[in-house]
Amino acid sequence: MSILPWLTAAWLFGIGVYGVVTSRHYVHLIGCLTVCQSATYLLLLSIGYWWGAGPPIFYDHPPGTPAVDPVLQALVLTDIVVGAAVTALLLVIALQVHKRRGTLDPQSLRPLRPSQ
Amino acid sequence: MTTPWRLALFVLALIVLVPAVWHVALALPAFGAPTEQYGAAVNALLTATRHVTNMVAAVNFDVRGFDTLGEESMLVCAVTGAVVLLRGTRGESMTDRAGKIPGRAVAPRTDATVLVCRIAATLTLLFGVYMALHGTVTPGGGFQGGAIAGSSLMLLYLGEGYESWRRMVRSPALDVLEGGGAFVFVGAAAVPLMLGYALLQNVLPFGTPKDLYSGGLMVVANFAVGVSVAGSFGLLLLEFMEETRSPDSESMPDEED
Repeated sequence: MSILPWLTAAWLFGIGVYGVVTSRHYVHLIGCLTVCQSATYLLLLSIGYWWGAGPPIFYDHPPGTPAVDPVLQALVLTDIVVGAAVTALLLVIALQVHKRRGTLDPQSLRPLRPSQ
Repeated sequence: MTTPWRLALFVLALIVLVPAVWHVALALPAFGAPTEQYGAAVNALLTATRHVTNMVAAVNFDVRGFDTLGEESMLVCAVTGAVVLLRGTRGESMTDRAGKIPGRAVAPRTDATVLVCRIAATLTLLFGVYMALHGTVTPGGGFQGGAIAGSSLMLLYLGEGYESWRRMVRSPALDVLEGGGAFVFVGAAAVPLMLGYALLQNVLPFGTPKDLYSGGLMVVANFAVGVSVAGSFGLLLLEFMEETRSPDSESMPDEED
């Protein structure tokens, strides 16, 4: 089953999008977006994985021992940090929407109009 | 658009995308097979050429340092945006003291909670600093260490209560940490440029492998990122907490003196 990780990543992304599509609340929607994003973590880490390889840290074993791909691990780190910051920003925006409109249901929100 | 319509669109997208994903999944290299030349080269060479043992930190701060500069800017932008949005609606009249609603009792914490939180917060902060400082040697680095150090503020809040927490954690200090860290990182990137080298080129002596100082410029960049991330997390925490204050300042600032 060498394609199982790729399919799992696709499935994670899919259920995230399903959650976004059927969402009734913006905070739930932001959570679903995070699920979508975790699909990218899984995909990147799976691409970088080698059977039988250790962590790419050569503190107690010498350089040259098999180690997983450090470039993809660094990419996942970037992904997580940016994801956390953007989630915080989205939550703030949801907070502002709730203050102005009193609701966070995407169904009942209408486009912004200039205030009379 | 109502939910059934959205679902119909979703199913339509699935019908198109599932065969494509299946095709791509079959075409990707088999799971667990070594394919990436770049990563293999980094693993093979960087301990000798940069004197570091943590390859992930080496990729982040040296090999792909320019990307990390972009990532750090993105982090600072997102946090600044969040803070501006929150402060913007609350008004600039930011008080340094916690708000208090007259007549509402503040439930005292038990001594055990306070003690456990103080011990845990100290240890968490120390662990975060350790993690950030040893980024080039052992697993960890500025981003992880900063996040851990920032979360120790949460433990402090849990133990001390909001009022004493606000007395300890000052917003300007966090601003300085966040901006200052980012500034030092940009400086570490720009100084080699001014000396006539490439951006973020490692101009400092590399130091000894497995030592606290190993990796030259990476140590500086790593430390700067750690400080900046800790400040960002603290700032976000503080601003979300302040959000409980009502905007029309119905809450009175607590007169303690």
